[in-house]
Amino acid sequence: MIGARQGTMTMLQRLVAAAMSRDIRGFVVPGADVARAAGLDLGGAGLHLSATPRHANVLVIIAPLPAGLADAASVAYGQMPRPRAILALGSGDLGPLPDADATGPLTQAGLVTAMEDLRWVIATGSFRSDVDDYEAPTLQTRTEYTCPMHPEVVQDEPGNCPKCGMTLVLRKAAVSSHAGHAMPEKERDMPVETRVETTSAGHDHANDKGNKHGGAHDHGHAKHAVSEPLVQYTCPMHSEVISAEPGSCPKCGMFLVPADTKSEHAGHDARHGHTKHAADESPARYTCPMHPEVVQDEPGNCPKCGMTLVPVEEAVENSGHDHGAASQGHDNGSKSSHQGSHASHGNDVVIEGIEAHFMSMTDLTRDMPASEDGLKMEWIGVPFGPFFPGLPSGLRLDLTLDGDAVAGTSADSAVGLSELLHEDTTTPAAFVDQLAALSPLSPVAYSLLACLALEQAAEQSVPSSVARARIAAAERERLTSHFGWLAGFGTQAGFTWLEKRATALQLKLRVAPVIEIAALAPKITALLTRIQRTPLLKARLKGIGRLAGDDALPGPVARAGGIARDARSDDPIYTELGFTVLTATDGDALARLTQRCGEIFQSLELILKVGAIAMPEPHGIGTASGTGEAVVETPRGAARLSLTLHNGKVTAANIETPTAAHVDLIATVADGRELGDALTGIGSLDMSPWEVTA
Amino acid sequence: MTILIVLLSLAVGAYLIAVLESWAVHGRLQPARPAISALALLGRESLLARTPDRLLFETGPVLLLVAGLLAVAVIPLAPGLIITDMATGALFLNAALAYVLVALIMAGWGPNGAYGMIGGWRFLGQFVAYAMLIVMPITAVVLRAESLSTVDIVTSQSSLWNIAYQPLGFALFVAAAMGLCWLPPLDLPTAPGDLAGGVEAEYTGVRFAVLRLARMVIILALAGATVTFYLGGWLGPWLPDWAWSGIKILIVAGLMVSAGRLVPRVRETRYLELSWKLGIPLALGNIFLVGVIVLVVPI
Amino acid sequence: MSALAQYAILFGLTVGAVGFVLCVYALARVIGRTRVEPGKDVPATAGSLSRDPVWVRYHVKYYGYALLFLAFDMEMAFMYPWAVVYREEGLVALLDMGVFLAILFLGLLYGWSQGALRRQE
Repeated sequence: MIGARQGTMTMLQRLVAAAMSRDIRGFVVPGADVARAAGLDLGGAGLHLSATPRHANVLVIIAPLPAGLADAASVAYGQMPRPRAILALGSGDLGPLPDADATGPLTQAGLVTAMEDLRWVIATGSFRSDVDDYEAPTLQTRTEYTCPMHPEVVQDEPGNCPKCGMTLVLRKAAVSSHAGHAMPEKERDMPVETRVETTSAGHDHANDKGNKHGGAHDHGHAKHAVSEPLVQYTCPMHSEVISAEPGSCPKCGMFLVPADTKSEHAGHDARHGHTKHAADESPARYTCPMHPEVVQDEPGNCPKCGMTLVPVEEAVENSGHDHGAASQGHDNGSKSSHQGSHASHGNDVVIEGIEAHFMSMTDLTRDMPASEDGLKMEWIGVPFGPFFPGLPSGLRLDLTLDGDAVAGTSADSAVGLSELLHEDTTTPAAFVDQLAALSPLSPVAYSLLACLALEQAAEQSVPSSVARARIAAAERERLTSHFGWLAGFGTQAGFTWLEKRATALQLKLRVAPVIEIAALAPKITALLTRIQRTPLLKARLKGIGRLAGDDALPGPVARAGGIARDARSDDPIYTELGFTVLTATDGDALARLTQRCGEIFQSLELILKVGAIAMPEPHGIGTASGTGEAVVETPRGAARLSLTLHNGKVTAANIETPTAAHVDLIATVADGRELGDALTGIGSLDMSPWEVTA
Repeated sequence: MTILIVLLSLAVGAYLIAVLESWAVHGRLQPARPAISALALLGRESLLARTPDRLLFETGPVLLLVAGLLAVAVIPLAPGLIITDMATGALFLNAALAYVLVALIMAGWGPNGAYGMIGGWRFLGQFVAYAMLIVMPITAVVLRAESLSTVDIVTSQSSLWNIAYQPLGFALFVAAAMGLCWLPPLDLPTAPGDLAGGVEAEYTGVRFAVLRLARMVIILALAGATVTFYLGGWLGPWLPDWAWSGIKILIVAGLMVSAGRLVPRVRETRYLELSWKLGIPLALGNIFLVGVIVLVVPI
Repeated sequence: MSALAQYAILFGLTVGAVGFVLCVYALARVIGRTRVEPGKDVPATAGSLSRDPVWVRYHVKYYGYALLFLAFDMEMAFMYPWAVVYREEGLVALLDMGVFLAILFLGLLYGWSQGALRRQE
């Protein structure tokens, strides 16, 4: 076992190793939702899921490991305490991870056999005399120095704190945490007060010293020391990724290239320019970013909300500036602090040996972002993904937290296919498989989409019985997918009972023939009735993640808000089956729960009406040419595919999925909410980060 | 001798509760599970975060265990079977359990991890919600017993258990006790789906084992307190005294650890609102009501 | 048992608990040492290397409750001795504490009306 502990197997070690082999705690990559959708009953195989890699001893990988998750997987593995093992199900490359200790095919039987192997490996190999460190480029940390009192003071060399004079202490930080100092792209578009973000931590504070010493303007030496290693490497695609060493980008895996340091420093340079400008000609009027009606001649705080006033002229000037949005927040902050300290210089009691403003509350809080209630607080950026137990796996979510409230979000998908079409996927059958692989959470809907588009391009049509049976397959998947969402909601809300029941039903229904589905119908009804009657459930979900009806909402999220939008209503076969669009009111998390429960019933009825299930397969494409376009209502919303067929080969394809709309909704649902509520809201969207093509 | 017996029964009780909890979580009754898990935890590495507050990080689990043990010290299992029958028992219980808050905040703050820190501060909010609902119902119990000694409190219920005498106080106390043990649906500081482990997240190996043990002791202490204050302690027919205490404590603890899986986690905002807008007025009313009954009906 | 002896026992219990924990730590240490590896000492945050620092001026949004709690917690300290002698004192005690509790309750109502009992955002 590669993740063994250093040591020899004596009596005691044998005993604990035997115990560990019977206490398997798994951390699943990409996540439990994908495992369920693949039909794995992890609990049934004796694998207890762990919410954090810290409490796991087995990293369960559902292979192939998506390229976008390779680095995150190596971080999770690196953070597991030894002895640690890897269990890989399915075939494919494990990227930077060491070889798996047990492998098996991606089936329940494969899992059970692999678990047996794994138990044996752990029982016999948990302690070894020759153990090597696990090293991956993403795990590199660098040494830096920080002040025990002012954690925002960080520099590369030992020395004293510019704020309080204490000796800086050594600590280690992730190389990639550097990226955190640069502004993630998403946040540039945010309103002023949410944009200020954690970035204020390092640089602006360092500037404080200069300001205090009466405009000596030794600008941001601390920050500069940090951000000027001799050569820097950056990602050609993600300029915010900066590393002191060559390697690959943690976001997209591309090789880093030596950075043009100028561009990285542009933000700071801009600020310098502005600070000087501030010193030369101070702007005459100040206004509140939140209350434009507040305008006064002197700097200070807004009488309405307490925020620091910003100079009027500068705001105008800055809007035309290259780095406008990103640097504005900083400039305002540092400049007003500059002004402020000049103003207060006169009345300071100077005590020898102690720097003026030492531990002064006004000074300590000067550059901090102000919360909505006007209190000056420090905000932190916390990653919630890509392997967060309460969120869809593969969703990379970074929350800026003001206490336990969300002050800013940045979300994107870490997974998805790099390209829909390549040489191997031009034949119709391979193309259908490729689309199915696009979404591990709802492969049938995407296969159906591909089939419909292909058949339209080839001007073929399938017999009505086949078309109906295909629809039944899609509806079975909707049913299964909604149960998967219920299980995920159970995990997130600590509602273990629901998690267990919904998982069991999802696993049973996934491949069940019609007769079995009919037999399970009473159980389904019982579960859904029980959910409606659960105490505390309404209080948990009511009013959370409310979305007003508008055009951008996809699928069940729109229908839960009362918008009768459903691609199925345009389909004659559905009309024939008596389908009507189901909607709920309110558009909050509770309505989404009700809506999905309703859709489960509806799908159940449709399946029983059709009475047969057939997986979609392309039908009579031959060597036809043409273009086709199809829309399918996937469990998460309408997906649209258009393709060009040339001599029986797919030559071009373009797909629109609901994922992008979901990602855009995250900020609306989360901003300003308490952390738990924000996560509930994001979870209630039931997004799938998989259905994107980079 | 008494002390050893109490500590031994505490160990047995903690083990049984751990079995019950794993049953509630995994859905299978495996009597050997806690022993296996504990051994396995001993065999895993116990990691230390890169820039921790070492003192707080190490103190957290130990303080939690000490707080739990001190609370257990004033729980009577039978006449004479109590570690210390203090004259201020009920107050001491309260004081000991106040350290649960301190220990959890220490554990959350210590490792310098975001999830843990948020979990710790969340627990402070939870404390603000439950603390009054521990103190006020106990006051009403003391009102009837005319003593803070836990032994006297049990004997005061010989004619009628407090669960019937002051049912309102019982309901409030149990709801608060669940919050104090951060059991689901009030597991806000450790919430696996919300905070991926929260305050527990950075504890691994043997330190995590101590944390879990301390948690079990605290659950037992709270179940013991509930039994002492409301369910007549060791009182009961036919069986020996200690057996009654044991049975009652295990049933209460079992219900506490398993009830939460049937409902979703309560939002912190909601818990605070409920306890201050509903719980505290009710608890004050309970004190007043019990005060009147004590004067009017002499039982 | 004298009160002093009781406190001695409690002290002994505390020391015993600490000793027990140290013994368990020692046992774990015998089984093996923790290996220092890159990235392992970074607090785990769902597969990303988390950023420092997280020790910040934290915004507790329940401060309205917390302030009221301080007042209530202080007052409750008076309740215990009162409760012990309540039956002896009789109606006078009920009235005394009734007035006291009424004032406390008015405080709660006032705080409520001023919006202290909500999440401050």
